[in-house]
Amino acid sequence: MNSFGDLGLVDAKALMAIRTLELRARVIVEGFWSGLHRSPFHGFSVEFTEYRPYSPGEDTRYLDWRLLARSDRYYLKKFEDETNLRCQLLVDQSRSMNYRSLAYSKSDYARTFAATLAWFLHEQGDAVGLFTFDEQVRDYFPPRHRKGHLRQIMLALEREPSGRSTDLVAPLRRVAEMSRKRGLIVLLSDLLVPIAPLEQALVRLAAAGNEIVVFQVLDPSELSFPFDRAMLFRDVENQQDFYIDPVAVRAEYQRRMEAHRESAEGVCRKVGAAFYRITTDHPMDLALRDFLRARSRRGRMVRRRTQPVSAP
Amino acid sequence: MSFLTPWFLAGALAIAGPILFHLIRRSARERQHFSSLLFLTPTPPRTVRRRKLEHLLLLCLRCLCLLLLAAAFARPFLAKDMPAPAASDSGRQVVLLLDTSASMRRPGFWDKARSVANQYLTQFGPADTVAIMAFDREPRPLVSFSEWSSWPLGQRAELARARLAAISPGWLGTALGLALTTAADQFRSGAGPNPPVAHREVVLISDLQEGAQLEGLQGHDWPADTRVRVERVEGPPQSNAGLEILEPAGTAGPENNIRVRVTNSRDSRKDKLQLNWRDKPGGPMEVYVPPGQTRTFPAPKPPAGMATGVLELTGDDVNFDNLSYFAAPAVENVKIACLGTETAQDAAGLLYYLTRVFPQTPRRKVQFASLGTNAASATDLLNRASFAFLPGPLTPEQCAEVRAWLKNGQTALLVLTNIQSSPTLAALLDLPQVNVSEASADYALLGEIDFRHPLFAPFDDPRFNDFTHIHFWKHRRLEIPGGVKSLALAKFDDGSPALTQITIGQGTLLVLAAGWNPAESQLAVSSKFPPLMETILEWTGGGVPARRQFHTGDTIPSPNSPATTVEWQKPDGTNTSLPAGTPFPDTDTPGIYHAVADGKIFSFAVNLRLEESRLAPLSADELARLGVPLGTSGDQTVAPKIERQRQLQRAELESRQKLWRWLIVAALAITFGEVLLSGSLSRQVAAQKAIP
Repeated sequence: MNSFGDLGLVDAKALMAIRTLELRARVIVEGFWSGLHRSPFHGFSVEFTEYRPYSPGEDTRYLDWRLLARSDRYYLKKFEDETNLRCQLLVDQSRSMNYRSLAYSKSDYARTFAATLAWFLHEQGDAVGLFTFDEQVRDYFPPRHRKGHLRQIMLALEREPSGRSTDLVAPLRRVAEMSRKRGLIVLLSDLLVPIAPLEQALVRLAAAGNEIVVFQVLDPSELSFPFDRAMLFRDVENQQDFYIDPVAVRAEYQRRMEAHRESAEGVCRKVGAAFYRITTDHPMDLALRDFLRARSRRGRMVRRRTQPVSAP
Repeated sequence: MSFLTPWFLAGALAIAGPILFHLIRRSARERQHFSSLLFLTPTPPRTVRRRKLEHLLLLCLRCLCLLLLAAAFARPFLAKDMPAPAASDSGRQVVLLLDTSASMRRPGFWDKARSVANQYLTQFGPADTVAIMAFDREPRPLVSFSEWSSWPLGQRAELARARLAAISPGWLGTALGLALTTAADQFRSGAGPNPPVAHREVVLISDLQEGAQLEGLQGHDWPADTRVRVERVEGPPQSNAGLEILEPAGTAGPENNIRVRVTNSRDSRKDKLQLNWRDKPGGPMEVYVPPGQTRTFPAPKPPAGMATGVLELTGDDVNFDNLSYFAAPAVENVKIACLGTETAQDAAGLLYYLTRVFPQTPRRKVQFASLGTNAASATDLLNRASFAFLPGPLTPEQCAEVRAWLKNGQTALLVLTNIQSSPTLAALLDLPQVNVSEASADYALLGEIDFRHPLFAPFDDPRFNDFTHIHFWKHRRLEIPGGVKSLALAKFDDGSPALTQITIGQGTLLVLAAGWNPAESQLAVSSKFPPLMETILEWTGGGVPARRQFHTGDTIPSPNSPATTVEWQKPDGTNTSLPAGTPFPDTDTPGIYHAVADGKIFSFAVNLRLEESRLAPLSADELARLGVPLGTSGDQTVAPKIERQRQLQRAELESRQKLWRWLIVAALAITFGEVLLSGSLSRQVAAQKAIP
């Protein structure tokens, strides 16, 4: 436990020592629940399914034609929309996510965090989907709220990533095409790509009415650049070699990294998305808390579509 | 320290591997993978440090390990316990055998041969013993083993070169077989207390022509470990033909054919040749001789009365053998002096048969002369004759003259036809009396014959030595006094001498104790009579027709002449005086030789041997077939024993010392140290790579 342990948080290092991804998610979520006496989001996803008499003027699409044929009575059937939140988790599995200076990589961290979110949302009764990608889409599970569905998501997240490069544009465009319903989109990536394509992709998603939360997952050494000896640095994605003296370039690197963050955050702000930077030594509870805080802050801003209950 | 298998030391070159790997690993180790270089800018590398080798100790350990392994595989041993080398250090025994036959007179051949010999001379070491021999018709030593050894070390080659410079090819034939066997025998004569030599080698420097005589090679007992190395002197391929005038059967002249034998070498490309008498009128005669064949032709017709001439062959490429000298044979006139009263027409007499027993041949004419013809005195008659026939009693004056003539080295045959010949014999022997009596037996036969004497030597064969059927109806018993030097060549069966050789001064008197006429015996009608008379005539030196055609190296018999000395003149004009009867040996040059004796000139032609014209190269296989141990001393068959023995000694010494084990142990220890060191270093590197 580090200093975060004193606050009752689960240390990321200890957490990552747990082998099963599902167990990790459960540890975080249950610990989170035990710290909450009253959830501000209680009853958030109350569902009801009912029949009610048809009133003239209502949409006849929801008329229960079978009942009509059987009993000659006009009833409207409530559309079976179980949840009020459709969350799509977008997990970057490119090769750069495999970088590590700790015992686990960025990808390990991101997948654990995605599993935690999935578990948490599923516990709340929300529909959760998964979308893994590198330079192309790898796995796709549409948002659903089923026991087996969560299990499938966990298994998909368990798989080691095998991607090469990072391309956010094409996968996010694909997400926009495949998600017909609006919902929450959580993007987990190191965002080590040029800003312009990222902006393009986020704009497309936001325009579709989705609520977007971006988590930039970085390794601590990517921020501090702690190397001290001049050597060849190889880009893990494009295998390009640079001979670099870290002492000479460290300040410039950190400046550029910060500029990149600011640019990404600006883009997110522009499209109404929440942006969080987390490092892999960051406790996942805090990250989850940041997420929920963002949700509560933006709760009223999201235009929530309810199913029309109108008689034909 | 020595190595049993030194070629494994080449494995030490493998140390280049660790050095290379140290350079490669250095660059590989200093590579850091990073998530993205998006925010990084490259800085120029500082190459000075990259050229340095790091971990020198580790590198040294690895190189040392490889070196030890290479040394172990080379199987080292300490040679201080090695027994002292015996034979291999005592050098070689080499006989340089140079061909100086006439075929080596071809342009460039002798220079090449001498150049090869000089090359060998520069290669010999101080321990080598060398003999140099030249050969043509017979071998002759130039430098012997002992002479070579006595020369100062640094001057041997120069002194030998000086000897070589003094000789040149002559005009003689090639007795290769005799030369090789003589050279090989040098090793036998040079053996003895000297230490055994590693190699014995005969270096034959020759053109190895096909006409070389190889007699004596087959079955020759070659000394052990002797090899013959053939250094063939070669030139451009050339056509060659040679010629030889045959000894004429009769006198030369338009009426006699002179025949010439022409041989064409096997590798010749020309077959049409021309024959022509040099400096004589008449056009050339064209002859056709296919390559590899020898044919005989009648020579072009010489001018009438030509005593000597030169027949020239043209049409081939090589000129040294294109002349053949000719000396016309002279008629041998044999004069037999007959003293007495007998005539050749008296069939009851002896002369009747004698005049008919010698045939008249073109080369020999036998003439009988008697006092009755044109001789003034017996001395005058005898001085013109080479043989005297004394058929009966002589007057005392004649006896004195004959005795004086005999004392000068002449020969006479006295036939005791009756006992009245006794005073003649006594007078010839200068004795007061010689007992001659008539034998009383019915007939007598020849009982004992000395076949070892030159007179009867031709009959010394079971087919011819039967004289027992010849009956002697009458014969005389002769008793030679004790002081007379006599030899009974044949005896009758009663023990009395039949033919007696009596020495008078320098001459010889043959005394036959019975006549050959039918009244006396059956000798004249016997088949033994003509050969016996011919033998007697030849023995006197007058009957053999003289040869006029000789080969280089032959000895020319002295011409028959009453002179005491003969003046010989060679073709180059040099004169030599020899006593009469001594043959002339110095026929080293082809040409016409003259002998002047008693005012008469005898000409002889000396020519090159025809075999010397067969210049096609002799195959070395032919020598091998005759048992010549061909090869070089460097091959396995010449000196294998000593080298094998040394190798075995090395192997034994190495297996006893087993130094390779210690080297392997050292290599393993170094490997262990290297593992520890490299592990330690790699841990340090890993620690450095960990992010602080």
